[in-house]
Amino acid sequence: MRSSKAIFFKQMKDVMKNRMVLIQFILFPVMAFIMTELVAKSSDEIPNNMFLTMFAAMFAGMGPLVTTAGAIAEDREKKSLRFLVMAGVKPHEYLMGIGGFVLLVSSIVSVFFGLIGDFTAAELLKFILILIFGSLTSILLGAAIGIFSKNQQTATAISVPVFMILSMCPLIAQFNETAEKIAGILYTQQINAVVNDFSVSAVKPVLIILANLIVFVVLFILAYKKKGLKG
Amino acid sequence: MIQMNNIVKRFGEQTVLSDVTLEVSEHEIFGLLGPSGAGKTTIINILTNKLDPDGGSHKIGATPFETGLMLDEDGLFVRLSCFENLNVFADIYGISHDKSLEALKNVGLEKAAKKAVSDLSKGMRQRLALARAILHKPKILFLDEPTSGLDPLTARGIHRLIMGLRESGATVFLTTHNMEEAVKLCDRVALLNKGKIVEQGVPLEICERHNAVKTVPDLEAVFIKMTGADAKELEEEG
Repeated sequence: MRSSKAIFFKQMKDVMKNRMVLIQFILFPVMAFIMTELVAKSSDEIPNNMFLTMFAAMFAGMGPLVTTAGAIAEDREKKSLRFLVMAGVKPHEYLMGIGGFVLLVSSIVSVFFGLIGDFTAAELLKFILILIFGSLTSILLGAAIGIFSKNQQTATAISVPVFMILSMCPLIAQFNETAEKIAGILYTQQINAVVNDFSVSAVKPVLIILANLIVFVVLFILAYKKKGLKG
Repeated sequence: MIQMNNIVKRFGEQTVLSDVTLEVSEHEIFGLLGPSGAGKTTIINILTNKLDPDGGSHKIGATPFETGLMLDEDGLFVRLSCFENLNVFADIYGISHDKSLEALKNVGLEKAAKKAVSDLSKGMRQRLALARAILHKPKILFLDEPTSGLDPLTARGIHRLIMGLRESGATVFLTTHNMEEAVKLCDRVALLNKGKIVEQGVPLEICERHNAVKTVPDLEAVFIKMTGADAKELEEEG
């Protein structure tokens, strides 16, 4: 726990001094706010929450994934991880530190998304919880990518196409049956489904997200066994 | 404190360590000398559990927690300040942040405490890496070429610090190219060439065995003789 706390605060200080990462956290909510206030609210044809839910779902799929993968890959590339391991930091403590911070920021961003939207109290709660759950899934996928990557460049080269597939599939699914079937098993599609229609039961989407989460945990364990955190 | 028995390490077809046996006693400064590619860093990597040997056994009388490490690649958090870097490890070890300041003072970096690592010179980064290695007062300290690329004054400061650590009870295992440094610092040394230990013992005794004592012990002459470095240089020049 002590080590996780140390890594958590190290990550916090690091992100505060890293504009590129800050942009990833700020870009989507700011865009959502601007588009909602300037476009959606001034148009009768566009639903008030359309841009908000679109950017929120994109954020949950991308922000935590890219940030976690980048942070772990950077620590691997610069050999900082080796010194942490030598200091007795266990892999799960390291991941709890990095992932815990990313999850906290993602949760704050999710609340911000919720507050600028036009929701009832029940919808707001459902919206925030599904975004946080989706962010957690993204963090685990990002951790697997980060461990598997030799350096930050490789992490970016893997995360970007993964994110593209995860975010594009739900969009293409509206026009293509095969894409619809594939999207049906992706957690990003489930986030989209819940935030776009609160009348839909969240049980099935949550179960699918949970299945994704389990797959990513297994993927992480396999990546860890293959690459380890020491290298 | 450190024991390696008949260690063998291969990378693919290439054998990089062959039958390496050495022993380091408690409170000793032990130097591992050898040309580039001789296998010095591989030995440190095996002793610090980064690599597993393909043969032989090794034993260390300290847990990873009681071990300090300084490598060529410093692994510092570049966007964090010197003080913040040390505090990450102080928090992991569960020691006060005052110890971070003390370690910074020990390596002469107290005035740069708030400076980001990305703004430090190579020498300052090396000193910060050493401060991190000694922060928790480890039982064993592994130093991979601790003064390479440093100016003589800074190097001398680090020498004093290493000797001070030995005085306070630490065992130091260092690698170096610098023969003068080895004579000055090390209680015992081992010469490594092409993955084999070709000589080991007290520097002065090694020099005597090879008739290489001039007005000062000339360990460099032994090094050249045992590793064939002068012949290689002549070949390259020719």
